[in-house]
Amino acid sequence: MNQANVTHLVSKLKFNIRPTPRRLKNKDGPPGRVLKIQKTLTALFEYERIELFYNRADEVRGYAERLISEAIRRGPEDHEMMDLANFWIIRKEFVHKLFKVYVPRYQDYSIAYTKLHKAPRLYPGIYYKRAVLELRGNPYPSIEQRNAHSNVLLHNLLLSEARKEYRMEKYKEIAESMNEREVTSQ
Amino acid sequence: MHGALKMSAAVGRVLSQQMRQSLKVLKSLAGKKNRCFSASVPIPKEGSVSNNEQKSVNRGKSADPLECRFMYPEFLPDPKPEYRNSLREKLERADMMARRSKIDIPEFYVGSILAVTVSDPHAPGKSNRFVGICIKRSGCGLRANFILRNVVDNQGVEVLYELYDPTIQKIDCLRLEKRLDNELLYLRDAPEEYSTFSFDMEPEIIPEGTPVPVNDLKVTLKPQPWLEKWERKDLKGVRDIVVNQKREMKAKAALKPWEKYDLMKIYRETIPEEEQKEIFAEVYSDLHNLEITRQKMKRQRTFIRPKKSG
Repeated sequence: MNQANVTHLVSKLKFNIRPTPRRLKNKDGPPGRVLKIQKTLTALFEYERIELFYNRADEVRGYAERLISEAIRRGPEDHEMMDLANFWIIRKEFVHKLFKVYVPRYQDYSIAYTKLHKAPRLYPGIYYKRAVLELRGNPYPSIEQRNAHSNVLLHNLLLSEARKEYRMEKYKEIAESMNEREVTSQ
Repeated sequence: MHGALKMSAAVGRVLSQQMRQSLKVLKSLAGKKNRCFSASVPIPKEGSVSNNEQKSVNRGKSADPLECRFMYPEFLPDPKPEYRNSLREKLERADMMARRSKIDIPEFYVGSILAVTVSDPHAPGKSNRFVGICIKRSGCGLRANFILRNVVDNQGVEVLYELYDPTIQKIDCLRLEKRLDNELLYLRDAPEEYSTFSFDMEPEIIPEGTPVPVNDLKVTLKPQPWLEKWERKDLKGVRDIVVNQKREMKAKAALKPWEKYDLMKIYRETIPEEEQKEIFAEVYSDLHNLEITRQKMKRQRTFIRPKKSG
């Protein structure tokens, strides 16, 4: 049994984290893992939506969320915070983006700042699970496709009404033509 | 199937009974007068008494319940997710408060000097008193414990006490202070003079309202062999650790400079602020009441009626 470390105060993350970290196997060991996370994190802050292997995406997600939440908590004046940002974000311009774009965007969020989607794996190809990691509120169109055939959607509703109308008209025509035939035969 | 249902119902009843009892205890805490056991505080000089009386600020009292985390770290649960269980944690907290209402557990930190009296059926007076410096605090909830170290007859002695052990009769904090490190396990490899404390040491009184003093004592370790690789621990309370070149190289290779930036490691080792707030909001008022009764007791003990002069 351990005692909780009380020197740091942290905000609660809004998604479920793994109880143990992943090692992100590589030839350099733990420093290599850190480098992998730094690269992916920088790419995520640059493009706001990236596609990669699931393991790495899930691992980086925690770091991205923690970095944003620390930036919101402490602000750019804090030296330790600046150290953290400089350590994790390799390119300087995205440190600026973190404080100028992401902090105002996520300040009032009550949900997670990132979203992780499972992506289909390549076939034929490497049998690793793939994922799409994105920052919420990005400018791209949504990745999630709603069921285009759902009958609550407006265009489907209109189409079905139009179809009904067309069918009713057809029935009327058929009925009229049948009446005419009866009249002529008599 | 039916039996299993009955069983679970019975367990639920027992649990709820326990909860009700512990709640009762909690409620009665506020109304009860102090029931502190310790009464062996000596009478200090008159000057210090007046000093004590002047300062009415309570050291234990903090406006923010979150500040409790330094004083009562054992109220926070183990951060390991597989050990978490909200109901058990709540029950444990209620039990801890119930125990705290029976025995005065003072504020102390690693580096403070404590005297602990425990019931011991084999001891001559059926009780045993040990004085020592607290070198480690660990565990949480009802299993919170601390290690006291002293040197008795040139022999280092360490005793691990559980904070909420029912056999503990009295805990006295003889000298309240912090040291530079969170663990003083290196005292095991330090000369004896650093962990030798007299058993008839008298409690030192710190004026209320002052922050806990930090003792920046730096020890020099005995020559090797050591129990641990102290050169790798980044100890602030040890003067200069000299090791041979090979060990130095190895220590350098074992450095993990990225660990202080590892945000998820930090997160996994702690309890988030929101949860801490919830936990301390639950126990804060009771802890605060206990602290007030303790302060009152202390003042009663130390107050001397002024004599008429002339």
